[in-house]
Amino acid sequence: METLEQTQSSSSSSSSIDSNKYSNCCRNRTDLSTDLKLGLSISPSSPSQLPFNSTTPREETFAWPPVNKSVLRRNIIVEKQNHIHHQRSLFVKVYMEGIPIGRKLNLLEHHNYDGLVQALCHMFKTIILSPNSQPLNSWNFHVLTYEDQEGDWMMVGDVPWEMFLSSVKRLKITRANSC
Amino acid sequence: MNYFPDEVIEHVFDYVVSHSDRNSLSLVCKSWYRIERFTRQRVFIGNCYSISPERLVERFPDLKSLTLKGKPHFADFSLVPHGWGGFVYPWIEALAKSKVGLEELRLKRMVVSDESLELLSRSFMNFKSLVLVSCEGFTTDGLAAVAANCRSLRELDLQENEVEDHKGQWLSCFPENCTSLVSLNFACLKGEINIGALERLVARSPNLKSLRLNRSVPVDALQRILMRAPQLMDLGIGSFFHDLNSDAYAKLRTTILKCTSITSLSGFLEVAPFSLAAMYPICQNLTSLNLSYAAGIQGSELIKLIRHCGKLQRLWIMDCIGDKGLGVVATACKDLQELRVFPSAPFGNQGAVTEKGLVAISMGCRKLHSLLYFCHQMTNAALITVAKNCPNFIRFRLCILDATKPDPDTMQPLDEGFGAIVQSCKQLRRLSLSGQLTDQVFLYIGMYAEQLEMLSIAFAGETDKGMLYVLNGCKKLRKLEIRDCPFGDTALLTDIGKYETMRSLWMSSCEVTVGACKTLAKKMPSLNVEIFGEGEQADCYVEDGQRVEKMYLYRTVAGKREDAPEYVWTL
Repeated sequence: METLEQTQSSSSSSSSIDSNKYSNCCRNRTDLSTDLKLGLSISPSSPSQLPFNSTTPREETFAWPPVNKSVLRRNIIVEKQNHIHHQRSLFVKVYMEGIPIGRKLNLLEHHNYDGLVQALCHMFKTIILSPNSQPLNSWNFHVLTYEDQEGDWMMVGDVPWEMFLSSVKRLKITRANSC
Repeated sequence: MNYFPDEVIEHVFDYVVSHSDRNSLSLVCKSWYRIERFTRQRVFIGNCYSISPERLVERFPDLKSLTLKGKPHFADFSLVPHGWGGFVYPWIEALAKSKVGLEELRLKRMVVSDESLELLSRSFMNFKSLVLVSCEGFTTDGLAAVAANCRSLRELDLQENEVEDHKGQWLSCFPENCTSLVSLNFACLKGEINIGALERLVARSPNLKSLRLNRSVPVDALQRILMRAPQLMDLGIGSFFHDLNSDAYAKLRTTILKCTSITSLSGFLEVAPFSLAAMYPICQNLTSLNLSYAAGIQGSELIKLIRHCGKLQRLWIMDCIGDKGLGVVATACKDLQELRVFPSAPFGNQGAVTEKGLVAISMGCRKLHSLLYFCHQMTNAALITVAKNCPNFIRFRLCILDATKPDPDTMQPLDEGFGAIVQSCKQLRRLSLSGQLTDQVFLYIGMYAEQLEMLSIAFAGETDKGMLYVLNGCKKLRKLEIRDCPFGDTALLTDIGKYETMRSLWMSSCEVTVGACKTLAKKMPSLNVEIFGEGEQADCYVEDGQRVEKMYLYRTVAGKREDAPEYVWTL
């Protein structure tokens, strides 16, 4: 049964700590504040399952899990980048030449160019030449173009799908004969 | 054997390479001791305080390669206060004074000052290889000295060190006539480097096989470097963050096709989403892949990449790969021997992998012998299955993010699961436990883990019996590290002779008292028993009955160390 000893020197930070926390005279307060900053307040599954069977639930377990500083640093970067990678949607505007009102389409719902083109054909009720197909009597058909991060308008289909997803800003369906 | 002249015995000894074998040779008789010490070229010292530098130099005058380890392992998790020790300077000073022709120095968890590096660089004409792992205390100025002065430098390998960046031009300090580099790893450096100097260095290093860059090297420079070094076998990419539309990226994709010798890939300290596809052409040759620094790559992208890596033997990855992703690894990587899965959100208590991923791996990767696995939960059934599927484990380190979590299916402790592991894996040398554990698991470990050399325990056990089972049972135990367990004075003092057979014992946040430590230190003069808190003065320990926050004891022939800070009390 450990004893709770709060010496004077630890009282300043212990005001922010639950008084039930395990502490002793040699506890490092900077560690504690860092842990709190990192949101480290792991509670064990249930106090009764604690090995010590003490009345003081071990609500704070600093330096756990045992990850070294470089793992910690990379995880802070993960937190920052997480917003990018929890993306489930990538909605882009789609305009068809001659129609002022555009549509919006979630690119992440499609896994390749064919899927995208099919969806657009359906949405705009037109035939869009797929990137691989031969242009025939092109006056009646449309092609798909996109604006990239640099502001240039490019034909859809030249780069790998994933690369396209990273660089597309919006789509435009233009008449084939104007390309 | 006394009938053979020394030269013959020396020649025979040349074939005996391992440290423990050479140690055994030296114990056979006086003449073998003498011959062995004059022919010994490589020495490994697992605890830098176990022997004095002077003694080392005196015994092995022909020393060429020295490996030293400093701080205890738990220093990696900030459990050892700053300034505890592990200074390399006295060693370099002693070696320099003695005229030993040092060629290789490998340090782990030591404090390395710029002064030490400068002395090192000036003292040994034939110095070839410097490997620093988890060290601290130096700046890029120290690196500049090494670069400038070590004329035959072959290897400069910096792994996970804390290096202060002085914005100098350390890379430019490699002289123009330095063409001997085989391995250069500066991935852990945080600052900018002179890209031009790097490119010129690579261009004049035809033997360069291993190159690990830091995050300041952009993609266009990487591409030019790869063009100059198609012979590279081990590549650590620094920054892989770029516009996927750019010319640089397109050029890189073409250049990668030429890099058919690369078998080891790591880094990606910064990475753009969806860019890993550039690596697909070399994946089939990879035997080692470390993506544990690649923060933020989505699981799906990781999975796609790994499908191409049929020859992988070593994989370090983040847990965002998920259980499903581990299933893909199990199918694709039949030769996998070492797996490490790191937590991408260690404090969220929501590890992304569970026991399912580990079971899948054990079913597909039968050659697996080393594991480090951070997970959300584990079950006894899963561990029993893993033990059956993979009896060849040498290293088994499991870390459940919730430290005392029981088996979620049965709400039982994980004693039976770990028991199965130690019973089945007869070659197990290293084990780390986690989850809810009683004394029973230690009974199993003591009974079955005959080859166990290192054991790490946290938040486990119920009584002193637990620790005693281990001390009594594991005959080959060398390192025992315990934190937050209810082991106290009885456990510490029952078998004190045991500690002379071990390298070290660490106990923190346990139930050991000052009085017991004093008793131990008195009875065992061959041990240093150090107690300390969190950087507080050592005299906060006034009463014998007081609990010790941290205790570190180790066997030594060097006596009490002179460089301990004030807060360390060597009893």
